[in-house]
Amino acid sequence: MNKIINFGIDLGTTNSLIAKFDKGHVEVFKNPNGFKETLPSIVAFRNDRIMVGDPARTYAEKDPKSVASRFKRKMGTTETIKLKVGSKTPIELSAFVLKELKNFIHSGESVESVVITIPASFDTVQSNATKEAGLVAGFKQVVLLQEPIAASLAYANKEKSINLRNSQWMVYDLGGGTFDVALVKIIEGDLTVVDHEGDNYLGGSDFDAMLLEQIIVPDICRRGKFTNLLVQMKSEKGKYNTLWYRLLHAAEAAKIELSTKTSTEIDINLDDEDGNLIDTILTVTRSEFEKVIKSAIDGTAEMMKKILTRNSLQPEDLEFVLMVGGGAYIPFVRKRIEELMGLRVNTSIDPTNAIAVGAAYFAGTKEFRDEYDQQAKPKNDRHLKIRTVFNRNTQEDEETFTAKLDGDISGLFYRITSEDGAFDSSLKVLSNRISEDLPLREGAFNLFSFGVFDVSNNPVDVGFDSIQIAQGRYSVAGQMLPEDISLVLDDVSKKDTRLQRIFAKNGVLPTKGKLSVEVAKTIVKGSNDEIRIMVVEGSSERHASTNKPIGILLITGKQINRDLIRGTEIDLTAEVSEARDLTISAYLNGTGQEFSQVFKGTERQVDTKALSTDILQLEAKVQAEINDASENGNQESAQGLERILGRIRGLFFECGTLASDDVTDDRFKLEDKKRKIAQDVFELTSSKRIDAAKVAYDTAKADVSNLVSNSGNDREKHQFREIIAREQTFIHSTNPERIEAVITELSQIRGRILMRMPEFLVGMFEHLIEKRASMNNQVQAKQLFDAGKKHILNRDWDDLKQVNGCLWDLMPDDAHETDDMRLYTGIV
Amino acid sequence: MVRMLTIDVPKWVLALLNNIYDLECKIHTHGDLCNASRNLTKMKDALAGEGLFYEDPMGQCFKETRTDLDASISGIGTENLVVIEVIKPIIRHGTPEFSRVVQKGIVLVKSKDEVN
Repeated sequence: MNKIINFGIDLGTTNSLIAKFDKGHVEVFKNPNGFKETLPSIVAFRNDRIMVGDPARTYAEKDPKSVASRFKRKMGTTETIKLKVGSKTPIELSAFVLKELKNFIHSGESVESVVITIPASFDTVQSNATKEAGLVAGFKQVVLLQEPIAASLAYANKEKSINLRNSQWMVYDLGGGTFDVALVKIIEGDLTVVDHEGDNYLGGSDFDAMLLEQIIVPDICRRGKFTNLLVQMKSEKGKYNTLWYRLLHAAEAAKIELSTKTSTEIDINLDDEDGNLIDTILTVTRSEFEKVIKSAIDGTAEMMKKILTRNSLQPEDLEFVLMVGGGAYIPFVRKRIEELMGLRVNTSIDPTNAIAVGAAYFAGTKEFRDEYDQQAKPKNDRHLKIRTVFNRNTQEDEETFTAKLDGDISGLFYRITSEDGAFDSSLKVLSNRISEDLPLREGAFNLFSFGVFDVSNNPVDVGFDSIQIAQGRYSVAGQMLPEDISLVLDDVSKKDTRLQRIFAKNGVLPTKGKLSVEVAKTIVKGSNDEIRIMVVEGSSERHASTNKPIGILLITGKQINRDLIRGTEIDLTAEVSEARDLTISAYLNGTGQEFSQVFKGTERQVDTKALSTDILQLEAKVQAEINDASENGNQESAQGLERILGRIRGLFFECGTLASDDVTDDRFKLEDKKRKIAQDVFELTSSKRIDAAKVAYDTAKADVSNLVSNSGNDREKHQFREIIAREQTFIHSTNPERIEAVITELSQIRGRILMRMPEFLVGMFEHLIEKRASMNNQVQAKQLFDAGKKHILNRDWDDLKQVNGCLWDLMPDDAHETDDMRLYTGIV
Repeated sequence: MVRMLTIDVPKWVLALLNNIYDLECKIHTHGDLCNASRNLTKMKDALAGEGLFYEDPMGQCFKETRTDLDASISGIGTENLVVIEVIKPIIRHGTPEFSRVVQKGIVLVKSKDEVN
């Protein structure tokens, strides 16, 4: 029997919810204790008791060392939450919340699979950690869905009459602990997150703290004698530490009340340092609160503007801003965003449960694949297996259902009937491939039964029995990649590394890609030499050091069965499953060996050795940039870079104290710091690099233009014209690497033309004669020089080209440009 | 013949809906001189509130796989059939998202080639 997942969970920073899809409707389950839809994402461990939700929240004030909250912010790191009972990982804690949510299901159904939502900004590692939490909680299958997509699905299903085709909007999700804004678009009928920005440390609970720090505490200070009250409140051992938690709660209540009222009152009751009782009521007005949160809200608008700029959009290109999360309840947030962005704010869906509702709608279209179950128990003695293909969401009024069957199908029939009684395919003879056009009712969830029968009309279980198609709904084709996934390669010409994109951002999972790379240096069998197949996540247009590493596949001399000669090709296959597991396979053409590794990546992998090399490389780069800036009289840049250099040196010192088997999470923190520094360097030097790239491009263009018009063939002329035609797309780019990539293209054209020109070939031959003394094999060199001279006499230019190539190979290794640099990955 | 499916809807309700449909057709043909369609809409809404509504299959395609229609084929052709006359509409029970057929529509169908 095929099952649909149907259950969706919003695993939030502060609150979590569970909802179920059932025949076109979504029910958000209520907490059996307290009858709220939300479960605070808080776990407490007290006296052998594990409490989740409201009871745990109660102890957050009294016994904070036994309570864990806001652990979603730490997903995907090796950071643990230290509690009295010991350390707990964010995955373990999230699993407790997920398990508790199962208790909400009043129907008592057992939930085997579930859709869990994740912020758009979650990278592969954070996503995998969320999936892992689901598995720890006992779900057999976990499907992830991006929160802005979930919110959009909830909206599209609520406002069915509004046609969202060819439109785009922003989802503004100001939750309890995180802020996420995403640009959502319908591309070919599928909902897609095109771009996103966010702050993992901004949310409703930060507003509570702001209210406390900026209004409540200063007021208390005016009423009594205190020294450093705020510090005393925040410090774990401070005299007023419990007051912090008590007032935080009061601040939250005040914030909620200010959403509907223009003022609220807070009871204040404490002794000052002289023992005088302060017993008063503090009135907080809405305008005071608005003043406190103004800059934070303006910051969120800035992020929205960034998205608009990056995507060359104007506010009027968007339909609306769909607001979800607790922040949507604050009138000022809605007003300010509308004011700053000039966009209509849409709050038509329930901000609290929209994500869970959307997740359930998505779950209603996802099939549960119990792989273990399918493998273990054959469904029938005919070994029948079925594979089906059909769209679960469609805008069409008819959908073709196709299926492929393997096994003994002789004497069998099939029949498809609609559950609403409007369609019956009648009994049809079963063949290996079957296809049936199913009529759909507009705007409805169309359910069909599928059955296979023997000659006596007895049903035969093939493990598939129902077809569910939602008409008029937008689909989400699959999990999408939030960032590019790239391979790090050595860039010999720039003595640096470059990124080769394997998968583009927003690619739909699962996906598979292939590429070939070359070995940059010979790896001797049995040696410690190694090549690093390093996969990173982030913008592929930036430098590798600004990306987050996902994993490294190391191949050393000890693993290979013969020497791997420089230039040997390595065929790489990369695969990302729907669950975001990345598999990298490398086939070494020289040795015929294949290496493969799966990066589950629920925790970030950082190799301390690679980290040190990285930092060293960064230091050298920054030093060179400083010299360059000083020479050009650019003091401001030089000073900025000097400061960065100081940070790098500090980092290098910290890295030096790390053992290769360091068990703490220091390496992750250092890796994070390194990436941030690299991003700063990138920002600081990008304008200089753009200017330099533009000048280099102009020079290369003029040079190649002459060559092409005088000596280029049709193909080269066409290539050159094509580059000039798209000049506007890269010359104004903010990314120097795009211009540099075109310069490389131009120099390749130049190289090809020169290699056909006799004068260039003769010049090169003469240059090699000068280097004769240093060549590795003098006998072979002599033969080649003799042959070369003969070819010049006979004007055999093709043969001279061959001779030049052979002579070049005889040059000692240090003459090759490749070895001037310290190779980082060993592949180009 | 009108066949009752899984949901047992009283005959008088079906009769009521069939007659509302007939009235709508008559108004459509002869004009709504006394604004009666407003009252009909209200009656339909009241019944829809109870999960009962009808669907007019006029002009829709007919195939042998359609089980929400009892069709009589007029003319010679048996391919590309379309509904040319509705004697009784399809009556459904449920919500717009998911409903079941409680009365098959009774229709006359004809090949498109002959209609044109």
